[in-house]
Amino acid sequence: MKVELKNIHFSYGPVKALNGINLVLNEGATGLLGPNGAGKSTLLKIMLGFLTPDEGDGQVLGYDLRREQKFIRQRVGYMPEDDCYITGMDGVSFTAYMGELSGMPRQEAMKRAHEVLFYVGLGESRYRLVETYSSGMRQRLKLAQALVHDPKLLFLDEPTANLDPAGRQDILELIGEIASSKDISVLLCSHLLDDIESICTDMVIINKGQIAASGRIEDLKMVDYRLYELKIKGELPVFSRELEEAGCRLEETEDRLIKIYTPPDFDQMEIFRAAARNGVQVRQFARSQSRLEDLFARVVGVD
Amino acid sequence: MSSIREKGYHHWDGQFLDRPRAFWPIARTGIKLAFGRKHFKLGYTFSFLPAMIYAAIIYISERLEDFKFIAQGGDKLLQVNPNFFKSYLTLDLLYFAILILMSIGAAGLLADDFRHKAVQLYFARPLTKADYLLGKAGVVIFFVGTLTLVPAILLYILKLLFAGSFAFFLEYPWLILSILAFSLFIVLFFTAFILLASSLSNNRNYVISIIFGFYLFSEILRGIFFVIFRSPFSALFSIAANLKQVAAGFFLVKPPYDYPWYLSFLLISVFCFLSYLVVKHKVRGVEVIK
Repeated sequence: MKVELKNIHFSYGPVKALNGINLVLNEGATGLLGPNGAGKSTLLKIMLGFLTPDEGDGQVLGYDLRREQKFIRQRVGYMPEDDCYITGMDGVSFTAYMGELSGMPRQEAMKRAHEVLFYVGLGESRYRLVETYSSGMRQRLKLAQALVHDPKLLFLDEPTANLDPAGRQDILELIGEIASSKDISVLLCSHLLDDIESICTDMVIINKGQIAASGRIEDLKMVDYRLYELKIKGELPVFSRELEEAGCRLEETEDRLIKIYTPPDFDQMEIFRAAARNGVQVRQFARSQSRLEDLFARVVGVD
Repeated sequence: MSSIREKGYHHWDGQFLDRPRAFWPIARTGIKLAFGRKHFKLGYTFSFLPAMIYAAIIYISERLEDFKFIAQGGDKLLQVNPNFFKSYLTLDLLYFAILILMSIGAAGLLADDFRHKAVQLYFARPLTKADYLLGKAGVVIFFVGTLTLVPAILLYILKLLFAGSFAFFLEYPWLILSILAFSLFIVLFFTAFILLASSLSNNRNYVISIIFGFYLFSEILRGIFFVIFRSPFSALFSIAANLKQVAAGFFLVKPPYDYPWYLSFLLISVFCFLSYLVVKHKVRGVEVIK
């Protein structure tokens, strides 16, 4: 068990940011999802030891959240979302410097910096000043500085931001390899659900300071709901109201496609019966393959 | 035959250091980066010129017989006493050299970190806000210290060596403490001043403007108030004048302005404390992830 949080509460003054978070993160790659203001950043801050929770306790890599923050940060790698670097340093000096700040002996940090820069694909550019790197190279550099002290747990905040498709694919492959074969657990915070779906086995969705869903992605996609897509002719509001009263949730896309999320035990014939009762013609009907977007929309309540 | 080493990911099997001085890598790197900046080495070397001139004066003062042709009418200038050390540590040229050097090498200490969002990289490491600030302060302390404290101590030792006796030490037994204390006071002031300026903008060019603007504006303000009120207290507006006034207190000589030296001491101390509070506020260690 890499992270265990119990009943974590945190407020910024009167604003409640986290409200009773209980969370267990195991080995492997976990995706952290949530709309803006859901509490993801606050949760990351607490796990990195920057903020002390108002209530609750927990452990990261076996270290207490409240008392052993120094040890947590020594053993956790953090790749920020922002384009951040230190000017005037070349890639290898920068990476070694970050290793040294983590507590590595100076010479070992330098040796290790060379290794991780080769690993992330910056071996040939390691003596170039970091300010001359392209955005893709800087993303790799951020990954290198997060890896230099050989963390047991990696927090990656939007690791594919500002990357072209090829660069994005490269970084995802790298992260996927780290998570699957390097004995390093990864917590991936991203708005790109495809990124999470392609790398992570587990997922946590936060909404309004609470855990809205967590578990294996495959399980979450399977058990929670069924998704039907249909096109209709007729009055949607009445039809919609009846289905919502029966526990379904409806969304209408821009191209007039209606998505209906139904409870697992919901009889699909009820959709047709409701349509018939409300004089609505069903012109197209299909059971859709549930995707992460659908799960996210279902749990968080946004499209 | 040795195998070709795979350049892949390998776990590190070393041990983390239990480092009590976590600020040191930050300070060392800051010093190294400053030396790497254009014209810094040249500027740093030239900044020792006043110290070398003062060393020459000490040498000449001990060999007056050999340098009669130079010493004619310059007896007062060649007197090595507490005022001599005070004059070195309050030299306008020295302060200006410090400001130029710090503009080149230290203006971006915090500003660059803010601009390039590097603060979060520091605080994702096992560092405290104090470690970070001490590390950054260490850069200024090093440079200002090597231009004030170190030369002043060396000049004192030089005086004893050239004199070949401890008469000077016995005459002014407290002088070494005054040199130490006032040098540290200058170091503290410039550290607070440079870090404050560096924390006020994300752009190092603006920081340089703040450094010189504040320093020169304080002088202009002193001039304006003096012209209007003809009061010695107008010196309280000037950085250089305040430092000279405090120096007089530390070196037990007559203050250049007609008011108690401790007023300037208090003013600068309050400035340093407020600077610390502002810098601490600007470096919000907890706000590292958006």
